[in-house]
Amino acid sequence: MFGQLIVSGLAVGACYALLAIAMVIIYKTSEVLNFAQGEMAMVSTFVAFTLLDAYHVPFHWAALLTFLFAIFLGIFFEIVFLRQAKDPTVIGLIIITLGFEMILMGFAGWKWGPDQRSLPFPISNVETYSIGGFLISKINFWTIFITLILMFSLFVFFRYTKLGIAMRATQQNPLAARVMGIRTKWILSFTWALSSMVGAVAGMLIAALGVLDPPMMMDPLLKGFASGVLGGMTSLPGTAVGGAILGIIENLFGGYVSLAFKSVVAFLIIVLMLCIRPSGLLAKHYVKKV
Amino acid sequence: MVTRTLVVIGLMIMAVCLIAGPASGQKVRGVTDTEILIGQWGPQTGPAAPWGAVARGTDLLVKIINEEGGIHGRKFKYFLRDDSYQPAKTKAIAKEFVEQIGVFAVVGGVGVATGMTARDYLMENRVPWYGPVTGVYNWITPIQKYLFALYPLYDDEAFNLTGYLYEKLGYKKIAMFYQNDDYGKQGVMGVERYLLKKNIKLVEKVSAEVTDRDLSTHALKLKNSGAEAVIMWTMPTHAALILAETAKIGFKPQWATSNTLSDSALMMQITKGLWAGMINSFFGELPDSNHPLMVKYREWHKKLAPQERWGVFYYAGIIFAEPFFEGVRRAGRNLTPETWVSAMETLKNWQGIGPPVSYSKPNHPMDRQGGKHVFYGKVKPDGNIQRLTDWIQITK
Repeated sequence: MFGQLIVSGLAVGACYALLAIAMVIIYKTSEVLNFAQGEMAMVSTFVAFTLLDAYHVPFHWAALLTFLFAIFLGIFFEIVFLRQAKDPTVIGLIIITLGFEMILMGFAGWKWGPDQRSLPFPISNVETYSIGGFLISKINFWTIFITLILMFSLFVFFRYTKLGIAMRATQQNPLAARVMGIRTKWILSFTWALSSMVGAVAGMLIAALGVLDPPMMMDPLLKGFASGVLGGMTSLPGTAVGGAILGIIENLFGGYVSLAFKSVVAFLIIVLMLCIRPSGLLAKHYVKKV
Repeated sequence: MVTRTLVVIGLMIMAVCLIAGPASGQKVRGVTDTEILIGQWGPQTGPAAPWGAVARGTDLLVKIINEEGGIHGRKFKYFLRDDSYQPAKTKAIAKEFVEQIGVFAVVGGVGVATGMTARDYLMENRVPWYGPVTGVYNWITPIQKYLFALYPLYDDEAFNLTGYLYEKLGYKKIAMFYQNDDYGKQGVMGVERYLLKKNIKLVEKVSAEVTDRDLSTHALKLKNSGAEAVIMWTMPTHAALILAETAKIGFKPQWATSNTLSDSALMMQITKGLWAGMINSFFGELPDSNHPLMVKYREWHKKLAPQERWGVFYYAGIIFAEPFFEGVRRAGRNLTPETWVSAMETLKNWQGIGPPVSYSKPNHPMDRQGGKHVFYGKVKPDGNIQRLTDWIQITK
């Protein structure tokens, strides 16, 4: 049972990490925690469902169109809601994301109704691979794979590309970034678009693993946030490590201590990390110099 | 002379008042010459939203009755409110129903914790409440004059379902997967009560919180228990998740569940077919039943609410309201909470599309428990139901 708990923990941790990556992209650029991330992903996933179920669009086209929608949604939110805030503080922007989350939740309930749906997905969530005697479902396996690929690609992007460096500069000092010729407004829109697209990937995988309904991202979002805090909210490898550790700890706790309190572990980890190492396991504590 | 005339006039006024009775002597909340106001709350958003279809199903029955001319010259005005399955909202809705809208009665209402926040308030205000949409003891103990339960008790339903698995199908190693709240716990109570009678215990008892989305550990625990049959008492999302997780690790016991998950069309769809083989209890006619009332309701559904899916959760809203309207019919034109209560107490084995319903003067909690029957069915690979039994009385 121990080995299987570890494997299952890694699989679920990959889902948490995907959402954490989406949150970290925004946090790295604007220091805003996006509480609408889950619902943005959920609405994008419903768009994929509509394309697949109602219009019978082939999966690869549906996925592509969904990502385009997610990009549009991210830019729309940044321009229509966040950019309009007068003298915004970080807290003010976070509150706006909470408001947007509620709007999206209400919209999804109105547009698609409260019934659960099953997202048609090309990879089975029941068929398994056997690795070293342990079973892992095909979709869990590919979720881990996609998470690692995304994490690595984004890591390289932020570290080695001009655009990635411009995004980091915008977070560290927007004024200096503007003076250096970086179009910070454009950078912010791009950030939200990128984050929303990664969220859509997470949403589609999480829906394929379970069911699709408006509240489907509430639990994964909180766990994704916990993964980010654990690994470091500015570190992409940190989020992957945080997600994996959280998934494994949760599973071991549920398996050997108490299932009833399994969900609480994530919050305990948030509190402990904020007390002991606020920057997370892999992130360096960044101090703004006056 | 003047004094005698005044006395005669006074006596005549008194006599008229006495003959006319309370209907014209005092105003009854929510009842006018032409209308009766009724309300219901139900989760239209949030994790329990699929059960919110019940409240919309009641709306269909109200519309049908109004289309057919109402009852005793009065039509019904129906108020549906979304409480998102949150008790605090339910209490506020109950207050709105009584203090702002002024309803005559509340019909249905999904949820134990939600309904419990409103129960005492409604009773203190003498608001008739028919058919809370959960099968728990809270509605019949202590006995409430204006509260009539319909839903078969989870405890008795679980007790009999366990007996069916144990005696009829021969499963001796039984595990339980349940929602960690009153709903799930009353299911566990019934299962354990039966097994205690047989001097055995559940081989495993695994609970899930309402917000849980990862059930891989739960599935592993069930598998390691070596159970031959697993009874689940959960909401649809968890039922779908646990079936997927157990299938992944190759654990395929005989599953059985309550009528709360009897919407097999929905369950087949969200489980991608894993629902096939499920043993379900049912407390109403099957969706494609040829029962004359079902045929009639399906026709009205096509006309009045074609946007709604004709599923068990939806037409359960009709099941929970039918006896209420029968009570209004029997109470006659002089409708008050008291006349309605007396009329309800005359129902004996009355049946619409749900179970046979009986009530009597409240000397025992079971006198306020209407539904005491279920039947069992097995989900076929095409999603249809193979009926296994006739109506079985589960509450004595």
